[in-house]
Amino acid sequence: MRELPVDETCIITVVEHQGHDGVVSTKSLHTEASETLLQTLERYQIDIQYHCRDGFCGACRTTLIDGCIDYITDPLAFIDDDECLPCCAKPNGPVTLKLD
Amino acid sequence: MKYTTFNQVVTDTMVEPMFMGNPVNVARYDQQKHPIFEKLIEKQISFFWRPEEVDVSRDRVDFQKLSDAEQHIFISNLKYQTLLDSVQGRSPNIALLPIVSLPELETWIETWSFFETIHSRSYTHILRNLFSDPSAVFDDIIVNDQIKKRASDISQYYDDLIFYTQLWQTLGEGEHVINGETHVVTVREIKKKLYLCINSVNALEAIRFYVSFACTFAFAERKLMEGNSKIIRLIARDENLHLTSTQHILNLWAKGKDDPEMAEIAEECQEEAKAIFLKAVEQEKEWAEYLFQNGSMIGLNKDILCQYVEYIANHRMNAIGMGQPFDVQSNPLPWMNNYLSSDNVQVAPQESEISSYLVGQIDSEVSSSEFSDFEL
Repeated sequence: MRELPVDETCIITVVEHQGHDGVVSTKSLHTEASETLLQTLERYQIDIQYHCRDGFCGACRTTLIDGCIDYITDPLAFIDDDECLPCCAKPNGPVTLKLD
Repeated sequence: MKYTTFNQVVTDTMVEPMFMGNPVNVARYDQQKHPIFEKLIEKQISFFWRPEEVDVSRDRVDFQKLSDAEQHIFISNLKYQTLLDSVQGRSPNIALLPIVSLPELETWIETWSFFETIHSRSYTHILRNLFSDPSAVFDDIIVNDQIKKRASDISQYYDDLIFYTQLWQTLGEGEHVINGETHVVTVREIKKKLYLCINSVNALEAIRFYVSFACTFAFAERKLMEGNSKIIRLIARDENLHLTSTQHILNLWAKGKDDPEMAEIAEECQEEAKAIFLKAVEQEKEWAEYLFQNGSMIGLNKDILCQYVEYIANHRMNAIGMGQPFDVQSNPLPWMNNYLSSDNVQVAPQESEISSYLVGQIDSEVSSSEFSDFEL
């Protein structure tokens, strides 16, 4: 993986729940400016569901534990107050996501 | 309450509930209680397409090369989809428009139904190309037991809501005896029927369509029936949007952001609603068994398809607060996502027959020289 200068990247912390044993793992991902959250997750080969990649189907709905995001297209799919759509969002500062 | 096509009572649509309030009068969108529905209308209209724009002529050659088992899978799926869109092309209009109370939602329902009619026309486009006389395929839809089994489950919630709305709008609340049968009509009872109906529609667009989508895209993965796959991709994109709209309706109710009585009903009928989804999953698995009764196709069999149904049901049910009842963690058909992504729907114009890329392409550049012969 190419190392990016710190000022170009945001850090996404991904919290994953591993099965029934309750073990929680976290990963730190560095974003690139051109990427959506979904593209960053995919670059790190993190398994995430998606369909439309355009904010209208809601397949990639993910819990946003902490941090701010900006939408590059207006999300049309239903998202709860603590959720985001990674397919059309970019991080605005460090972000923590919870993946089921 | 009698339905009127132009309600002359002054109403404030900012406080009306989505359904079962006053009938809509002025189709105005300057103020909206739930602006999401206008956004959905705009998105849906931007998706406009015509079946005739997609060239399906090469599919005929491919179809002749399919094995008997594969032809059965292909044609059965088209029959089932034809049924689903026959229902969806008319039912939201007939069931929901008489009781809708917000102009933006009324227009969304009309836009949504209109797109379902495009889907219906596209099945005829596909079948006309495969058979010189497709009537045998269409005629079988109404007599095929496997299809009929699902048809009654799909239409019953709509029919029930439509009938009770008719009673309410002609006779009002109360006990009505129709053909010897007693019906207790109350506003709350209609709201319950509406809640179950929207859940059933959500299950239809969220789960039922996906078995046939998977089969279509499995053919496309082998570079077969690609014209058909191009059409189904456009349909899948529309269905994803329709699904979003019913998810919004259900969540607005459940979270108490619309009609407080609907929030109570959502809680009261949660188990019944969940049962609608679980039954849809069971029926789709049975359908998968019927599809593969004569043999599988490369890349897809009954077991994988059933796992996919459970996987997609987990996601869809979770989106409306029903949890994840099935134990499937990873996507058993990862390639499906490539076909469901809208990036891949609108391909470069030279690669496709789809002309929708022309939409909105107006040259708006004006140079000062254009005004050279203007005098004031």
